[in-house]
Amino acid sequence: MQAAAAEPTYSEDGVDLTLIRWMLSLTPAERLDVLQQHLRSVLRLRGEKANS
Amino acid sequence: MKKPTPDFRAILRILREHRVDFIIVGGVCAVLQGAPINTFDLDIVHSRKPTNLDRLIKALEALNARYRTSGHEKLKPRASHLASSGHQLLMTLSGPLDLLGTIGHGHSYEDLAGEAKELDIGEGLRAQVLDLTALVRIKAETAQEKDKAQLAVLRRTLEEKSRS
Repeated sequence: MQAAAAEPTYSEDGVDLTLIRWMLSLTPAERLDVLQQHLRSVLRLRGEKANS
Repeated sequence: MKKPTPDFRAILRILREHRVDFIIVGGVCAVLQGAPINTFDLDIVHSRKPTNLDRLIKALEALNARYRTSGHEKLKPRASHLASSGHQLLMTLSGPLDLLGTIGHGHSYEDLAGEAKELDIGEGLRAQVLDLTALVRIKAETAQEKDKAQLAVLRRTLEEKSRS
């Protein structure tokens, strides 16, 4: 018996498909939260004071 | 104006409270539909009907919007600016906001409305968002070298969505 072929991790043009699948598992509101959290992290790393 | 941390929901809430007709496009639109990309500004295409421009101006006053282009930081957007097909790059109390009269090869709010859908974006807010298929098609119309990597992510997101 052959094992089922695993889903590819990257597309041929180098896009990380695991990130896309993870984002698609979230609701639109959760995706927006991910983006907002990322922005806060980036700005904090850049030393800018975040408004909370 | 001190540089604020972008808070997209805060901007969208003010626009909705002022009953502004608009469609979210660009990076936030892509993220809401599952694309793992980053963006620091909110791009919207607004209706340029006079009644909507009146509401938009009031919303921008509530957001204390100013141009963010160098040398124009104290300039407030006027209805005549917003009536144009051009792009108004603003800074607000809740971060950067780009008001786009048209996108791609001249697509206006009215042109895009049939390809927009309303999404629940959390905290009791709903907003019109350009369908990802249309976003990819329009972005490809005017894509420059810097846009190609993001376009690849958007196209792969569309493929994965079609499989799920």
